[in-house]
This record gives sequence, structure tokens and C-alpha cells, in this order.
Amino acid sequence: MSQTSSSSAIHYGTTKPPLWRNVAVLKWCAQLAVLLGVLAVFWFLIAEARTNLAAKSIPVGYDWLDNPANFQLGEGIQTVDTPERSLTMSRALWVGMVNTLRIAALGIIFSTLLGVLVGISRLSKNFVAQRFSSAYVEGLRNIPVLVQIILWLAILGSLGKLTPDTGPIPGWVIVSQKGISLPRVFLADGFYQFAALMLVFVVGIVAVRRQLKRRQDRDGGDLRIGLWTFVLFVISAAIAWLINPIMAFLGPIFGAIEDAWGAVPQGAMQLLLCVIAVVGVITWIRKFLDSKRSPAGLAKLTDDDWFRMIFSVFVGVVAVFVVVRGWPGLSSWIINSGSDFWGVLGDKFGDGRGAKPLDAMRPTLTEGRFVNFGDTGLTLTVFYASIFLGLVFYTSAFIAEVVRGGILAVPSGQSEAAAALGLTRAQALRKVVLPQAFRVIMPPLGNQYLNITKNTSLGIAVGFSEIVQVGQTVYNKNSQTLAVFSIYMIFYLSCSLSISSVVNTINRRLAIVER
Amino acid sequence: MSDVTMTPTSPSNGASNRTSPLQWVRVNLFSSVSNTIQTIVFTAITLGLLRALLGQAFSEEADWTSVSTNLRLLMIYNYPADQIIRIWVSAAVVLLAAGLSLGAWKVEPGYTVGRLGRHLVGLGLFSLVTRLLLPVHAPDTVRTWLIIIGVVSLVAGVVVQRGDPDGDRVMGFGTVLSGVALTFLAVLWLVPFGQYGLVDGVLVAESGTTVASSTKVPWTVLLIIVVASHRVGIILGRALGRSLRAALAAFWVVGPAFVIFVILRDPAFDWAHVWSTDIPIAAMFGLGGAAVLYFVAAPGKTEVARAVGAMLFAFALFNWVAAFFGWYPMLQKVRISFLIFAIVVLLVPAFAGDRSTRRRVAGGWVAAMVVFHWLLTAINTESTLVITAPPFLGGFVLTVGIAYYVMLASFPLGVLLSLARTSKLPIFRVMSTGYIEVIRGVPLITVLFFFSIMLPLFLPKGMGISDLAAVFAGYTVFSAAYMAENVRGGLQSVRRGQYEAADALGLTTVQRTSLIVLPQALRVSIPNLVGQAIAVFKETSLIAIVGGFDLLRIANSTIPNQPDFLGQKRPGLLFISLVYFVFAYSMSKSSQRLEARLKDAQAR
Amino acid sequence: MSIADQALTEDLASRDDMIVCTGVSKWFDDFQALKGVDVTVKDREVMVVLGPSGSGKSTLIRCINRLEVHQEGSIFVDGIELTNDTRNIERIRSEVGMVFQQFNLFPHLSVIDNVTLAPVWVRKKSKVEAEQKAIELLERVGIPEQAQKYPGQLSGGQQQRVAIARSLAMEPKIMLFDEPTSALDPEMIAEVLDVMKDLARGGMTMMVVTHEMGFAREVADRLVFMESGEVVEVGTPEHFFTNPREDRTKLFLSQIL
Repeated sequence: MSQTSSSSAIHYGTTKPPLWRNVAVLKWCAQLAVLLGVLAVFWFLIAEARTNLAAKSIPVGYDWLDNPANFQLGEGIQTVDTPERSLTMSRALWVGMVNTLRIAALGIIFSTLLGVLVGISRLSKNFVAQRFSSAYVEGLRNIPVLVQIILWLAILGSLGKLTPDTGPIPGWVIVSQKGISLPRVFLADGFYQFAALMLVFVVGIVAVRRQLKRRQDRDGGDLRIGLWTFVLFVISAAIAWLINPIMAFLGPIFGAIEDAWGAVPQGAMQLLLCVIAVVGVITWIRKFLDSKRSPAGLAKLTDDDWFRMIFSVFVGVVAVFVVVRGWPGLSSWIINSGSDFWGVLGDKFGDGRGAKPLDAMRPTLTEGRFVNFGDTGLTLTVFYASIFLGLVFYTSAFIAEVVRGGILAVPSGQSEAAAALGLTRAQALRKVVLPQAFRVIMPPLGNQYLNITKNTSLGIAVGFSEIVQVGQTVYNKNSQTLAVFSIYMIFYLSCSLSISSVVNTINRRLAIVER
Repeated sequence: MSDVTMTPTSPSNGASNRTSPLQWVRVNLFSSVSNTIQTIVFTAITLGLLRALLGQAFSEEADWTSVSTNLRLLMIYNYPADQIIRIWVSAAVVLLAAGLSLGAWKVEPGYTVGRLGRHLVGLGLFSLVTRLLLPVHAPDTVRTWLIIIGVVSLVAGVVVQRGDPDGDRVMGFGTVLSGVALTFLAVLWLVPFGQYGLVDGVLVAESGTTVASSTKVPWTVLLIIVVASHRVGIILGRALGRSLRAALAAFWVVGPAFVIFVILRDPAFDWAHVWSTDIPIAAMFGLGGAAVLYFVAAPGKTEVARAVGAMLFAFALFNWVAAFFGWYPMLQKVRISFLIFAIVVLLVPAFAGDRSTRRRVAGGWVAAMVVFHWLLTAINTESTLVITAPPFLGGFVLTVGIAYYVMLASFPLGVLLSLARTSKLPIFRVMSTGYIEVIRGVPLITVLFFFSIMLPLFLPKGMGISDLAAVFAGYTVFSAAYMAENVRGGLQSVRRGQYEAADALGLTTVQRTSLIVLPQALRVSIPNLVGQAIAVFKETSLIAIVGGFDLLRIANSTIPNQPDFLGQKRPGLLFISLVYFVFAYSMSKSSQRLEARLKDAQAR
Repeated sequence: MSIADQALTEDLASRDDMIVCTGVSKWFDDFQALKGVDVTVKDREVMVVLGPSGSGKSTLIRCINRLEVHQEGSIFVDGIELTNDTRNIERIRSEVGMVFQQFNLFPHLSVIDNVTLAPVWVRKKSKVEAEQKAIELLERVGIPEQAQKYPGQLSGGQQQRVAIARSLAMEPKIMLFDEPTSALDPEMIAEVLDVMKDLARGGMTMMVVTHEMGFAREVADRLVFMESGEVVEVGTPEHFFTNPREDRTKLFLSQIL
């Protein structure tokens, strides 16, 4: 029996549709048209900006980063020009970034603690606890965070004057309209040597641990691996504390790397970047073709697949063009910043460093204000304190909701099953409910961490020297708005990327544990 | 805190009248040791915090007349006092539409008499506790009023609760609305707000000039309008149904723009110019376009329409290039109209149909052109409003206005972005993903700064943009990225089978998206979109940083700089916190109710 | 080959070709789902496609209205070749109706709106005309009283019948059924199969992927057995159920019967 009848009058053969009715062609033409349109708009805007900037005779570029700042910062790791280290524009921006990160990190820790507490007590059976935490959440999350920050500033500003015997505990804990000050522990000069030495020790401890574990698995018995690890760790920390200056030899090594990196010729770097682009495109195409390859041979490629490959080649060509012609500064920028990175690292091990890795200080006052930098305690200025309090309370309300939602998302059958197995309530919560709730909680929690980091930019409203405020001071001085905004963008995007990659890693871990 | 419920059982809300109060206290507060400890600890925290808050509100220096005197400033900022009637009329128009909408959509909160009683008892107890915790500096009037409110609502609450022992007597929304309106009116007419007022920046200390007294009559009228229009909305909704709801929806999209231009600005049209230029252009586009659309909306004209559309599109783009290089003069609005026309012609084959459909397409176009050209003309026309102190726009009106228009403008942009992000076309997806992630990665304040500082730099010579417009543009661009993510969640909930069924029936991509995918996706994303509306509303406070005179800026810098209220920050800030809270909280509550209603609808 | 078989074969040979697949191949990345499939469906023929899961039978009928894009070979539907040509795709889709395993009704539209959607927007009929036709079709599938309800309020069998009515509203020349009864409770299968039998008796060209052997034996003109992307055997029901030629077919039938 024949499957295809030859009696039919139809001519069998593949007919090619005309271009203007071909789906694949239409799709790609539309995409390319929009892409070119967007690029044209950008090109037009940038051309306009260049003309406008040239008319005002403002140079475009990043050369100004090394100029002296000529302004003071409110607070931070360096606020004024000092003989040892001049406050350049780039240094000022760096101080702003560190301030942002300080607020963000502290804010994340405290809002998580507070949020978890409130979130759990919102699920309590106790009427007062439940009502209080509901009111807490609803009240704090429905008032704009900026209003809360400014309200905190107004409240803190109305506190008592700062005198030597202000306190709750004069000399140790001071709360006044100039801010809050506590004794602090800080990383001293020797910390980097100490950390490097500890790295070496930890490698050793891990090796010992593995050895012990192998013996325990083989011979049985309890070798108290955890205890031994802890003891070894304490001992090596003590040793490292005492002998850390021996790691100073790393300084010259990093210095040598710095020199070597800086000596790379620009042409070589350009060539390297071009090669990376070309190899990247080739690898992508090969992987793409591989994914279409079956034991029976290469699948027939659709028009769509061809367009994809042509487009990736196009991207590669554009990348090479950018490296060679469009932005030749890119390669020298990579060379310089790479060498700077090693230089900074080398400085940490440089002359005069060593000895104590950590140190402590009590609050000190001069002329009715706190000493900002150097020999002093941990001082929260009112600006720092208001943005910190505002962010922590606001975000903790959201985190409480996230936590509550996560716990509620665990089906009640789970805790019932745990009870049936004879686990106590606390055990059920710890071993069964929380691990499952954690997977639901993590992604929105990460979002809240991102929000805290971004909301630190509201420090500008209270004059706290975080990156946006410092950047604004910078471009008010030298009109380099475009460059400053590009720095903002890179900074915040890398914060977002690192937070989300941490959250994603934890999430992946949790997912594996679950299987 | 080991006492954790694993299931969302709320504690019995102190409501069931079957148990005596004493029993209730024993069960809910002191059932076990840990429960008792929790009760004591949380009561202490609550009282302590309340005491601290009252200490801030009624501290020694706090002067609440700084708020009551400046209410007008906080609401409408420097709006010329002799033209305030415009604000009242616009508020009346908006509230009329709001009342009609509430009626037409049959919003029913399901509020029971029993719950009202409970809330009254709660309010009474809260007032009395507050009275006990008041700091010494609090004015005597506050003490007296707290006692009066406490006792009255406590008694009223108990009485009301008696009337609904089972908690199943549901109050209609009309009743609730009337109740709220009556309470508001009673407060307005009975409470003496004080004898001071700022008239044109001067503090006047005589009776009868307070802001409250000058607003008594208008507020009364407004409240009557709301209650009445809600009633009318219910009746009309029964009679007209879908067409009334469509008309109201249209009002909420274009209405506010009309309100601004008709009432707040009242454009002074140059009628000679209007007759000679504006009306002919509008007529040309409206009627000529309608004819073309009527022609291409016939079945079987798909390819003709595409060809015509593509040519028009090329022509429209060329107009912009030509304008840029100054080859031939053409009015901006003609260029915009050409562009819109080209896009509509490209889209129209998807909605082609029989004669009545074609007529509707053409009619819709004419209507859209009339509105659009009127708005364009109005925008480019001087206002009759006499502005004495620029910037005159500010206060609560600015906050609400910006939030509303940002949501409205970022909605289509966000939907487009989310469609691009979920599309199968790789370049669209990459571009949209890049946009969304970059915008979501940076703080709003940098975007606002960027637009207010950089936008003027990017524009060609001779093209300017006002500060507020630049901020508005930046906020819209920012909000669209979040909008896109919310809509994307909805899009992902639409199953593959829906796309396949639409394809198998022969729907085009535009039809599939607009008739099948988006209606389902948007319905799913409504709760998230309301959440975003709340966020947008709250974050309008950032306008204060980039130079707008919104609520925050007024409370934080304008009032404390008045010679009469130097440094009075806390009362104002607490007051605006309350304003923000009331609006954001009621939005989030209604969104929760909406979510429950949608869930019911889906289970149906 | 029996006399009846021969008569049927001759009858079929004299009819026009409705679907002609020649050497159709389809890959999902490196997995080849179809390996040079040749199948012809004649006018007014009911062809049932059998095969174990993953044999490519769903992929084949999904290629016919281009829910999947075939990469090699050619597919002609009613003399129109299925290519990248937008016009051809539009024409074929409006001539070919499809019924899915999961019904895929539009949950936000009432039953009547589900049925009238495509006639109004694709065929450009007037709303009134489309609604008259829709009521007729709903009567034909036996549920005229459900017209104003939403899909979520119907049982699975009712939903699938609405889905059939929705496809029929486009007045298709060909109907494709992709396991139409697999997602149904046993007691609802019969009502859907009855509607399909009616359709077959009315002379509709049908291509059906199903595991309902009773239906295949009673209604099908020819059966196609597929395995791992290949057509193993084509024949009449009698041939299949009494005397299959290939061992793989025998094995499959012994497992399923």
C-alpha cells in the first residue's frame, strides 16, 4: 500500500515565499529596525550632549578623578586633606561608597533581626503580641521612608547638647544632638598580614580535618573533629596575632605584580580583548551548533537559527570595532585599574604596617563635638543615625511580612507530620518548618536587601556623605555630571549584582539540600 | 517565642459575645506561662512606644498651630487665593466620578455592625489610654477632647455591638460612606480649630479666618456630592451596566488631564489661531484618517494596510529627521499626529471587521484625535490663571497628581516592556531585560537627578523642558521598569495552551496578545499593580529632594522657616506621616479585598 | 488484504489529498522528534494516529497547523504549502481546527464569547451572525444551555465539547484532535467521543491522536502507527487489529489491548 498517492495533481516541492511575507525575515527586520531606532536615538542624544557640553567648554572624560577635591566630607574614612593622603575626587567618591556600604551592611543586619522578631510575633497566639506587631508593620510600611528618615533627624536634633558628661554612661555611651557614640573595635594596621597568615593556617586546618575525618570513617569511634578544629583555630589565631608582621614580604610581591601589569603595552591589551571577543563569538556559535547536533547528524537550521548566528557575528564585529576604534581608552583603563588594584593591595602590606590586627577605642570629644576620624569610638552622627534608624525600621516592617509569609507558606500538614513523629513544637519549628520557609523567604528577602542598599541614597536628604551626596558635590564643583552618573550606575549595579548573586547561591544551596 | 501558630488562624478577635470579657482575657492573654510573659512584655513595649510618640508630638516646643494654620499650604501650596474655586470644582468633578465608580462597580466592603462596634470600643480605649500617657506639656484642650472621644465612642461601641450580637449584620457601602461623611461634617462644624490663619503669607489673628472655617461650606458640598453620586452610581449601574463603566474608565484615563486644563489652567485660546490652524489640522487628521482607516479596516485589506502603514511610518520618521536638520518647517503636533496615525494604520488590520466594526474604528479615531488635539493646543496655550508666586503647584495636590499621572503614563510603557521581555524575539528580549534590570538596579533619586539635570543637556537647542516635567519623565521611566516586572508575573501565569489555542484559531499576534493574553495577565497582576501604586504614592516624597514643593518639603522646610513657627518640624512631619499613612493604608486594605474578590471569581 | 479493505483503498485513492506530508523531519535541539514522516490524509477521511508516548504523534499533528515548525520535508494542506509565508500560514490556520488535550478554553471569556471570538476577529463576521452560528454549534455538541457560563463552571467533558464547537465555528475543512479524551474522567469520555463520531459521519476530514481503541476501530478509515518519530505501519482498522505486519505494531497492540 503506498502512503503517498501519485494521482494528485499538486506539484510537490518547497516553494520559497517572497521576502515581505517570510515570517523569519519579518521578525528579524522588525527587531533590527527597533534596535537601530534605539541606537539612533542614543546616538542623537549623546551627540547633542557633546555639542551642549562643548558649548559650555566642559571636557568629557574621567581625567578629573585625580584632581584635588577641595571640599570636606561630613564623615567617613577620610574627610579632609591630610599630609599622608590627599583627598582627590576619586578618593572622595570612594569615601562616599564606603559610607553607603557601611549603612547598607549595618542596615541589613539589624533590619533582618528586627524583622524576623516582629514577623514571628505576628504569628503568635498572644493577642497583644499579634496586635502590636500588626500595628508595627502597617504603621511603618505605609509611611514613606524618606519622611521617616527626616522625622528621625528632627527627633535626634531635639536631644540634649553634647558635653563631656553627657551620657547614659558618660565616656562610654553618649547620646546627644550631635549623635550617638559607643566604644568601637576596628581593623588596625596589622589586619591584612593577620588575614593572610590566617588564610595559610586555615588551609592547614582543613587538611588536618580531612585527615581526621578519613581516619574516623575508617576506624570508627568519635575523634571529636569539631572540638579539634576549634582548638586548632584558636591556637593559630593566637599565633597569627603574635607573628603576623612576617607576612610583610607579600608587599613587594604585590608591588611587582603591579609593575608587571602596568607594563603591559596597550596594543597587546587591545589584541587580547579582540581575541576574547572573537573566541567568545566562535565558542557561542559552536555551542549553538552543538545543541542542534544529533547522533543522526546536524539538524536542518531554520532561517531563525541563521539570523541568530549572523547577529552574534555582528555583535563580535561591533565589539572589536569598539575596542580598536570606538573607545581606545578602554584597554588602557583596564591596564591602569588592574595595576592600581595590586598597588592598593601592596600598600596594605607596606612599610610600618603590622602588629595588632584589631584595636579598640572609647568615644572622645573635642570642643563640644565628637572626633570624627582616628582616635575615637564608634560615632553615629545624627545624620548617620537618622538614616540608619529610618531604613532599619522601615525595612524591618517589610522583612516581617516576608518572614510571616514564608512561615505561612509551609503547609500545616508539615507541622502535623512532625508532631506525629513525636517532635516537640520547638523541634518541629527548627527542623521542619523553618528550613522549608527559608526557601520561600530568601528571594523576597534578597529584594529587601537590594532596597536597603538603594535607599541609602536618601542620605542626601539629611546631608549624609554617601555616594550620591558626594557625587552631587563633585558635579556641582566641576560639572562632570555624565561621568558622575556613570559612576553611580556602575556602583549600584555592582552592589545589586553581588547581593543577588549571594542570594542566588544560598538559594541554590537550599534547593540542593531539599533533594 | 515558641508560641507560634503554624496556620493563619488569627486569635479570636475579642469579639465573640458568647464568652464573657473575663473568659476572653484568660484564654487570649494568660493561658500559659509563655503567653503571660508575652502579654506583659508586649504591653510594656506598646505603652512605652506610645508614650515616646506622644512625647514627640506634645513636647515642650511643639506648636500644633503650625500645622492647623498651614493646612492650605500643605494641601495646595501657593495656589492663588482668589482662584481657589477652581480647585474646589476639580475636586468636586473627581469626587463625583469616584462616587459614581464606587456605585457602578458595586464596591461592597462587607463591613458588619459588630465590627463597627468593636472598632468604636477600640478607639475609645485607645483614646483613654492616650489621655493617661499624655506628657505634661500637652494642651488642655487635647486632654478634654481625648476624654470626650474616649467615653462617647466607648459607650457608642458597646451599644452598637449589642445590636449585632452574632456579627452578621452587614452594612452597605452607602451607609458606611454616609457615616464617614457625617462624622467628618460633625468634626468640621463642631470642633473649634483655632482662630489663626495665614492669609497671603501674613498671620492673621482674628476669628473667622481659619482655613477650616473657609472650607466648611465647600467640604460639606463635596461630601454630599460623594454620597449622592454613589447612590446615583448604583442606580445608573443597574440601568446602563457596561456602558457606564466604560465611560467612567475613559474618564479616569483622560478626565484628570481635562480637569487640569479646563479648571486649573483654563487655557486662553487665541481663537484666530485656533480657527485658522488648530481646527483645520485636527479636522484633516480626524476626517482624513477616519476615511483611510474605514478603508483599510475592511476584511482582506491586511497587506494593503501594512504597505500603507509602512509608508506612512517611514514618512512620519522622515518628518522628524527633516525637522532636526531644518529642511522644511512642520508643526510639532502634525509630526506627532503622523506618527500616531502610522502606528494605528499598522495595527488596524488586527481589528478589521464588518461595517459596524469599521465604523467604530473610524469613530474612535475621530474622538481620539479631537481629545488629543484639544489637549495639545491647550498645553501650548497660555493660562488665564494669575500666578503670583511661582512655583504655585505643590502640596498634597502635587503629591496625588504626580502619583496618578506617573502610574497612568508608566502603565503602557511597562506593558510593552514586559511583552518584549517575555517575547521569543531575542533582540527585543535583551533590550527590554537590559532596560528593566538597569533601572531596577539604581535608586530612584539618581534617576530623578539624572532627568532633572541631564535631560536639558540632551535636548537640541530651542527645546526646553520644565523642572517638574523632567522629574515626571524620570519617575515614569523608573516606574515603568517595576510595572513591567509586575505585569511579567501575570504574563508568566498565562499557560502555553492559551497561546496555542489562539494560534490554532488563526488569531494574529496582535489579536492574540490583546484579546487573550493581556486580559488574563493583567487580571492576575492587579494586586501587585496596586502595591506598586502605593509605592509610587509614597515615593513621590523624593520630589522634595529634587526641588518640588510636595508635602514633605513644605513640612520640613517651608513651615519651619516661617517667622511664626521657626524650627517647628515635628508637628508638620507627624501630620504628613498621618496623611501618607491614611492613604497608603486604605489603598493596601482595598487591594487585599480586591485580591480576595478575584480569588473568588477565579474559583467560580 | 480483504475485499472490504481493497474497496476502501480504491475509494480513498480516488479522493483529493487534504494533508500531504513528505519526508517531514523535526528536531528539538539535538533530539529528533520526527524522522522523515510520509503521511497522506484524503478528503473526508478519518485517520487515527497511534503510538507510545514520545513517538512524535502529537508533534506531527502540531506541525500541520504550524504550532511547531518542521525543518525538513514539505507539508501541503488542501494544496497550500506550509512555509514561512505569512499568507499561507493564515490560510491554513483558518482551514484547520484543532482540539487540545487540556481544552485550552479562554477562561476570561464566556462560552459563547469563546465560540464567537475567532469568527468575529479572523473571519470578520458580524457579532449577530457569529452568535447565531455559535448557538447552533453548541446545540450540535449538546450544551446550548451553558452559553452564558464561564469555562471554569463547566465539567471537563463539557469544556472539551465547547472546545470542539469553538473550532467548528471557523468552518474548518480539517479537524486535528490531540488526545482529546486523555485529560477527562472516564465517565465523560463517551460524551466527547460521541460528538467526534457525529463529526466523522458528517464527512469531516479528521486526524486524531488517541488511545481510545474502540473509537479507532469503529470510526477510523485508516490507522497510522508511529514509533520514535517514524511511521511504522499504515492500514485499515481491520488490517491492524487482526493481522498487523510489523513486530513493533504487534508488541504495542498487545500492550494496549
